[in-house]
Amino acid sequence: MRFKLLAALALGLGLSVAFAQTRTLIIAQGTDPTSLDAPLATDSPSATVASHVVETLFYYTPDGKIVPQLVERYSFSPDRKVLTLTLRKGIKFHDGTELNAEAVKFNLERLVSQELASSFAFLLRGRVSAIETPDPLTVRLRMPEPFAPVLAHLTHSSTAIQSPAAIRRLGAGYRDNPVGTGPYKFDRWQKGQFVELVRNDDYWGKKPAIERLRFLAVPEATTRMALVETGQAHVAVRVPPQDVQRLSARPEINVVTTPSVRTIFLYFNQTKKPFDDVRVRKAINHAINKEEIVRFVLGGFGRASDAPISPGIFGYTKIGSYEYNPNLARELLAQAGYNAQNPLRFTLSSPNGRYLQDIRVAEAIQSQLRAVGVQAQIQTLEWGAYLAASNQPRERNEFQVAMLGWGTVTGDADYGLFGLFHTSQQAPNGFNRGFYSNPRLDRILEQARVATNPQARQQLYRSAMQIIYNDAPWVFLHAEQQVTAIRREVQGFIVHPTERLIATEASFRTSAER
Amino acid sequence: MTTYIARRLLTVIPTLLGVLLAVFLMVRLAPGDPAQLLAGEFATPETLADIRQRFGLDQPWHVQLGLYAVNVLRGDLGQSVRTRKPVTYELSQYFPNTLRLTLGAMLVALLIGIPAGIIAAIRPGTVFDLLAMLGALIGVSMPVFWFGLMAILIFSVQLGWFPVAGTGTLWHLVLPAITLGTGTAAILARMTRSAMLEVLSQDYIRTARAKGLTGRVVVFKHALRNALIPVVTITGLQFGGLLEGAVITETVFAWPGIGQLLVGSILARDYPVVQGAVLLIAVAFILINLVVDLLYGAIDPRIRYD
Repeated sequence: MRFKLLAALALGLGLSVAFAQTRTLIIAQGTDPTSLDAPLATDSPSATVASHVVETLFYYTPDGKIVPQLVERYSFSPDRKVLTLTLRKGIKFHDGTELNAEAVKFNLERLVSQELASSFAFLLRGRVSAIETPDPLTVRLRMPEPFAPVLAHLTHSSTAIQSPAAIRRLGAGYRDNPVGTGPYKFDRWQKGQFVELVRNDDYWGKKPAIERLRFLAVPEATTRMALVETGQAHVAVRVPPQDVQRLSARPEINVVTTPSVRTIFLYFNQTKKPFDDVRVRKAINHAINKEEIVRFVLGGFGRASDAPISPGIFGYTKIGSYEYNPNLARELLAQAGYNAQNPLRFTLSSPNGRYLQDIRVAEAIQSQLRAVGVQAQIQTLEWGAYLAASNQPRERNEFQVAMLGWGTVTGDADYGLFGLFHTSQQAPNGFNRGFYSNPRLDRILEQARVATNPQARQQLYRSAMQIIYNDAPWVFLHAEQQVTAIRREVQGFIVHPTERLIATEASFRTSAER
Repeated sequence: MTTYIARRLLTVIPTLLGVLLAVFLMVRLAPGDPAQLLAGEFATPETLADIRQRFGLDQPWHVQLGLYAVNVLRGDLGQSVRTRKPVTYELSQYFPNTLRLTLGAMLVALLIGIPAGIIAAIRPGTVFDLLAMLGALIGVSMPVFWFGLMAILIFSVQLGWFPVAGTGTLWHLVLPAITLGTGTAAILARMTRSAMLEVLSQDYIRTARAKGLTGRVVVFKHALRNALIPVVTITGLQFGGLLEGAVITETVFAWPGIGQLLVGSILARDYPVVQGAVLLIAVAFILINLVVDLLYGAIDPRIRYD
């Protein structure tokens, strides 16, 4: 009898938890944010939460346009060395202080400051030499040389404008209590469990429909999916490929795939033989069947790349891909002196668990290479060690061929090309970890930085990518896709290509609409 | 008794110093650079230098160790590289949850393990015994990770009885506590059974039965008390083990405990937090052992501490 009572009680309470109707939108992310102070929010769960509370001067729309956000108007001086921004009037931070030119200056200077040590300081450090505030609504950025991607960089979540008063008042506590101008205000943060935001009813723009947002930290993918299946969360990120079918079969759940600006690639260390030989690099390009990898290893959740950056990024044009042609690959290898008697052997470095199916992709490449007589041995290191090893200077860099991913989160080709291919950016001074160098490419990338006309920049990037294609310093593999489970009662939820989730335009459907 | 406790507490100091040194060396010998991880895949050298300098990572390791030891004595465990908040604050946010989970799991283990062991021992060879020991075998062999996910799929997704994950109500604790406690319950059941069997074969039990005491009095008053001594030892050790075992359970159930903090910090090479968390677990372990030793005296008056 007592047992029955207990069971009934358990059932009742359990049900009430499972079906509690709430007007809070619940989003299950993989991890808890680490910091909600925008320049210190380096991971996407942190940036996702911060982006609802704080806003940037410009906004990178999901379809790839850069539009003013906190800025009303902007103009460049004729020599393109001065950018003048006029702020929107009457915007207030959540603490009631005013958004003005001083606040913008404070935030941009804070981002590049030594004591903050933000990993995104490079976005503006050295590119902006002075910030002037001639009147409360005008900000002037002086640049030592024209810097075309400056607007794109000002869309980056780390350049968000936060309340200087709150930052001064809270000190180190600020990163637990962000104060911005965004459509949501920070409410509370239950460490390791969730962050809750509440609608900012004084928002200057279009007010969100949903009153509260809760971001849950759920590391285990199966648990995240169970939360959405039971309705205890409305959105869950990173649906594992094997769960897609099961979830899609449920009428109340929508499995949404969205492109990401992240491109996965292999790079060749061109200081190592035989990867200094373009024939070898081309041979490996021809030997890898990207379509097959996307279809079978990624379960279709990717897009074979046809350029070093993804579509949707300013400057992208379809450059093409080395066709899958094992015969040609064998021929090129033979020209470079490799054949069945003297096979090409090398170590292929791959992370394990950082990117979607990364080690499986490496294994697929290994077996495709075996078909043309190349023997690749896979080496994997723990992520921190992997990054450190790939960032060694030329003399000490042991990597031969390695897999990495790059998200062009500013939406501008400069971020995706200059840092990765320009000679001055060779590791450890930059992100060019294969020590690729082509003076002609360097010149074009430099011109594209200072070019004034978007069409001209577009054209320059096209030729830059053509050179990259011909030199084959990389195998561009694929762009990842983000797979998200969203309950059908939610509409208007945005999975941004920069891997942030945006709920400001979301709303709950009434049961009639469902 | 007091001198015993004092003496035991004194031995804690070298133990902790040893733990401190071991953890310090371990995290530094592991490959990977915390500055690099913090700064992301594509950080500039100046940013890396800034971060190294800010967190003292540019100092030689013996200097870092010395500074760390001095600060620990002052109660300052340093600052998290990832969140840039004091480690003590981070630990205070997560440790109470682990304690709740561990206590819940211990309760599950005791409520299942000891009765099962007793029943199995007083009816050896019967179907009760067989079932209890089969259950124990399954409980010990089942991977915690798999068990937790199955529990979620059956009791949360299919039946809708319990919430999937998180904390908040007592109902949130049920599945994680059962998941974490099952293995320990199994061990306790086996331990209780063998201890009980041994005690029940002793002469004084036969004497007790011979003078006409009821089975219940013999079992609970005479046998159990003696059988409990090894069980208490194992319980204490298991309790320490649960603190560590919580790592997996916490991940499966998104339980915001020290295990989740530890895993996240190890992956991010957040040295100060890893050190602090391990130090805290070590202290908890040592204290539990002390309590277990003291409990012996309460159970068995023959044990004295002077």
